[in-house]
Amino acid sequence: MADKRTMTLNLTDQEMRLLEDLSARKDVSKTALLRQALRLYQMVEARLSRGEKLFFEDEEKKKAELMVV
Amino acid sequence: MKTRVDIIDNRTGEPVAAELFDEVTVEHFIEAQQEWRPIVLKAARQLASRGSRDLVPQHFHWDWTVKAPELGVLANTFYGIRYDKKLQGLMKLETVGEFCRCRLPEQADRSLVYVDYVEVAPWNLKTLMVALGEKPLYSPIGSRLIEAAVLKSKEEDCKGRIGLHSLPITEQFYRQACRMTPVGRDSAKQNLLWLEYTPEQAENFLTGVRP
Repeated sequence: MADKRTMTLNLTDQEMRLLEDLSARKDVSKTALLRQALRLYQMVEARLSRGEKLFFEDEEKKKAELMVV
Repeated sequence: MKTRVDIIDNRTGEPVAAELFDEVTVEHFIEAQQEWRPIVLKAARQLASRGSRDLVPQHFHWDWTVKAPELGVLANTFYGIRYDKKLQGLMKLETVGEFCRCRLPEQADRSLVYVDYVEVAPWNLKTLMVALGEKPLYSPIGSRLIEAAVLKSKEEDCKGRIGLHSLPITEQFYRQACRMTPVGRDSAKQNLLWLEYTPEQAENFLTGVRP
């Protein structure tokens, strides 16, 4: 297991509620959820920087491009 | 991370200490491609010429070297097992992504660790070696890698939950040896069977309990 460093995170009430809801739904700790979010962000960024696009596809196979800033 | 895992040398029946590691580099991908792929392709040709098409390894076309760009991405973790100065198995895990959601109704939408690729060296592949009239050299490499996936899932707070798409030839291994739950065929992934562990099943697998 890699060494870990600690940081303090300031969130608004809304952001904290979202974090709590998502971590409950995913059945992981808030820390684990934030680490997942960071990794996902890195993965998306890496692919977008290679010129790829990010799409969501619905059940009828309709694609919607997701704009990431 | 480097840790010792016991595997069996099937020539003697004795356990030997192999090394499980996660510092996988492109050199390991090249080794797999140079050392494993010619043997897999030769075996595939032999089996196909005998008419044993259902025994031809379905992963004969895999190329680990194309995964080199994925090495630096934190969403991916790679593991290898080394013994006798040779790579005995390789695995790629994803800790986030479209397949990191549980599908079993009792744990639907929870996070899991997705086992994207598992490959054992062809000389350890039971189905292949038996089809060629030989015994696998070392075992159980696949099980040791699945154990590493479960431990990674626990480390990521997914409590042992893992999921994977199985090739038809390995379905029996995941169902019977690993005792994973088959959930259904995935039309979005070549209709491969999706299997999953609950935390309890993962713990039983780690501790060797056969419910």
